[in-house]
Amino acid sequence: MCTDCGCSAQGSNTQIKFFVKGYQTDNVDTVERTLLGLPGVYHVHIHAHDGETTIDYSPAKTRLSEITGVFTKHGLEAVI
Amino acid sequence: MEIQVMEDILGRNDQLASENQMLFAKRGVFVLNLMGSPGSGKTSLLEKTMAALKDNLRMAVIEGDLFTSKDADRIAKYDVPVIQINTSGGCHLDAAMVQKVLQELDLENLDLLVVENVGNLVCPAEFNVGEDVKAVVLSITEGDDKPLKYPLIFKESAIAVLNKVDLLPYTNFDMAAAKKDITSIHPAISVLEVSCTSSTGVEAWYDWLKEKVAAKKMAVNAHG
Repeated sequence: MCTDCGCSAQGSNTQIKFFVKGYQTDNVDTVERTLLGLPGVYHVHIHAHDGETTIDYSPAKTRLSEITGVFTKHGLEAVI
Repeated sequence: MEIQVMEDILGRNDQLASENQMLFAKRGVFVLNLMGSPGSGKTSLLEKTMAALKDNLRMAVIEGDLFTSKDADRIAKYDVPVIQINTSGGCHLDAAMVQKVLQELDLENLDLLVVENVGNLVCPAEFNVGEDVKAVVLSITEGDDKPLKYPLIFKESAIAVLNKVDLLPYTNFDMAAAKKDITSIHPAISVLEVSCTSSTGVEAWYDWLKEKVAAKKMAVNAHG
């Protein structure tokens, strides 16, 4: 996280960018906040119009399957 | 050139933090790592806490500061043991710094130890010092965008104190939006609205703290 001063290893967070099919205006906010609530997820950005989704997370704290599970739970399909 | 391996630094810190934690657990001392930006009101909150609880709880404070003892001087006025750690420009406290000063504290006769970290919304959240919980103080004058901009500190904290709410009418701080963002980042976090100036909400803070201290004592007693 603090890559400026270099005092930690959080800079090794992983950023993944992929497309998700099925976003609706009424579920984007819910999905974004549900993802953000996962233990190792620090940033989520969703482009609802084309489904582009960017997530910064720590693989040590959250598994990718937990992230993809959120999409499945909301009836969405993540193409990773 | 020496290349530092960051994972090893954090691994070493976690090991020392765990040693500190065992020391505190043995003596039933509840330890709070108090974090937040410079000027968010960490020391003001501590001053209120000292004044209100020092007759009921045996407290001590470790003050983290880059160079000065200004905050420690404020705390010392409350007749509570206070130890100053100067990081000489370092942006956070770590477990080794805390471990080094612990011998100066009478842990046997303490209920609550507050470690006021260096004012910084980023790095302190990454380094455990052996605390039971972390707390973050956010002044509403910093803006309601800060939780999403600095998610780790809210993710790691058990409680977020939104301070200076007496200034709400003079800012564009959106309390509902800030709370929604904080609880999205950390669904289990407690959020309090506080003003150290007007004393709004401070009772809820005292209650939260007393509850934590009592729970720690109870857990230690239960395990002998």
